[in-house]
Amino acid sequence: MEHIFSASALKFMDFISYPDFLIEKNKTTFICGESGSGKSTLLKLMNASLSPSQGTLLYMGKDIAKCDTLRLRRNVSLISQEPYLFNGTVKENFETYFSYRDAPVPDENTMRKYLSLCCFDLPLDTDCRNLSGGEKQRVYLAVFLSFPAEIFLLDEPTAALDEQTAFRVINNIKGYCTEKEITLVIISHDRSLVTEFADDVIELERSTGI
Amino acid sequence: MNGIIELQIKEFLLVYLLLIVVAFIMKRCRIDKTKLLIVASMRMTVQLMLAGFILTYIFKNPHPALTLTYLICMTGFAIHRALAGNNEINKNFKIVIALSVSGSGALIVLFFVCGIVGVSFFEPQYVIPIAGMVMGNTMTGVALGVKTFRENIKEQRLRINALINAGAAPENILLPFMKQALETALLPTINSMLGMGIVSLPGMMTGQILSGTLPSTAILYQIAMMISICTAVCLATFASLHFGMKTMYNSKNQIIIP
Repeated sequence: MEHIFSASALKFMDFISYPDFLIEKNKTTFICGESGSGKSTLLKLMNASLSPSQGTLLYMGKDIAKCDTLRLRRNVSLISQEPYLFNGTVKENFETYFSYRDAPVPDENTMRKYLSLCCFDLPLDTDCRNLSGGEKQRVYLAVFLSFPAEIFLLDEPTAALDEQTAFRVINNIKGYCTEKEITLVIISHDRSLVTEFADDVIELERSTGI
Repeated sequence: MNGIIELQIKEFLLVYLLLIVVAFIMKRCRIDKTKLLIVASMRMTVQLMLAGFILTYIFKNPHPALTLTYLICMTGFAIHRALAGNNEINKNFKIVIALSVSGSGALIVLFFVCGIVGVSFFEPQYVIPIAGMVMGNTMTGVALGVKTFRENIKEQRLRINALINAGAAPENILLPFMKQALETALLPTINSMLGMGIVSLPGMMTGQILSGTLPSTAILYQIAMMISICTAVCLATFASLHFGMKTMYNSKNQIIIP
């Protein structure tokens, strides 16, 4: 089995220690653990927006510290817990994010496909300032899912969604990633989602010693 | 044209009575800044008296070393004031600001004194007041620009993190913040240019007219001064932010938000 990520003796700022782990390619891995156990930090270490203070983290067998970080972040796409949308319409948000990546903007049908994947059915010209928290999170998810990537890191993607929508969204995303052979890593507190969708689980514990 | 009427000390002191009006309004509106008003007025008086003594000495004994020392002190103080409200930025950013303020200011003053007026750079009668106006405005512009840049970045942490995760280059992420800060820094100068001559007769022109200079000459100086100030503010703020923002991210494309 091919591993996309592997970590050994990983530490961040001397107060978060991670167990050694492997993340298998094309599988759905859930990261669970209580608040303060460093789940979100781990995803930031994986896309190199933070650097570990100790240990090694390998992406496709290569030390992350030696990777071209911009290319890495385009392949290892982190979708953070707190969505950010620019002022403007849903379509304009796709356009703005793609322009920041210097990438061609997808056509409207492609945008709709990703929005529908995230159970968002409002028109593309909807002003994002009028959206609810859950709707914003789904538009944000759709924009990031439309980026070509090898692995998606989802930090609490369903935090602002009701149970039923959360289930449908994760089901759609997992289906999409399986079809496209994209690895999925999800942080979630929702044990029912873990039971239903996880191929593998990494349990984190809060470090006691500083 | 007549020469200027010298102010007599007794009559001059009357002007301080006006501060009572400011203090009274502050008291009525419960603005707790009376102490600051007194300190600022006293500091201004002392600083200007000192400047007056020093300038009188320099004008009587013109020497390049004296003029240069005065200009260096002036630039140092301008840098200090520009950095005073922006303590949170990193050390390299501060060095960039210092170099930008001094470099842009020196370049514009040199161009004005030698190129436009056509006198030696070390002619204290010209270089000191011109440098004072250029440096003063540059200091205010840079301080305002850097403050706007820093505060907007702090407010837009979510946006910055989202764009980092999207794989955007730090320079592209920070560029809109730089543009906005540059615009904020330049607006007061441009606005004052719009109202000049109609709403206000600016300080330099007023001073020259009071001391007997023909208004037609004073106007030429003032126009040249305003364009020079605008350029110095733009150049110094642009250089501070353009090179300063490069100190905010590392080789791993991680942006360090102060």
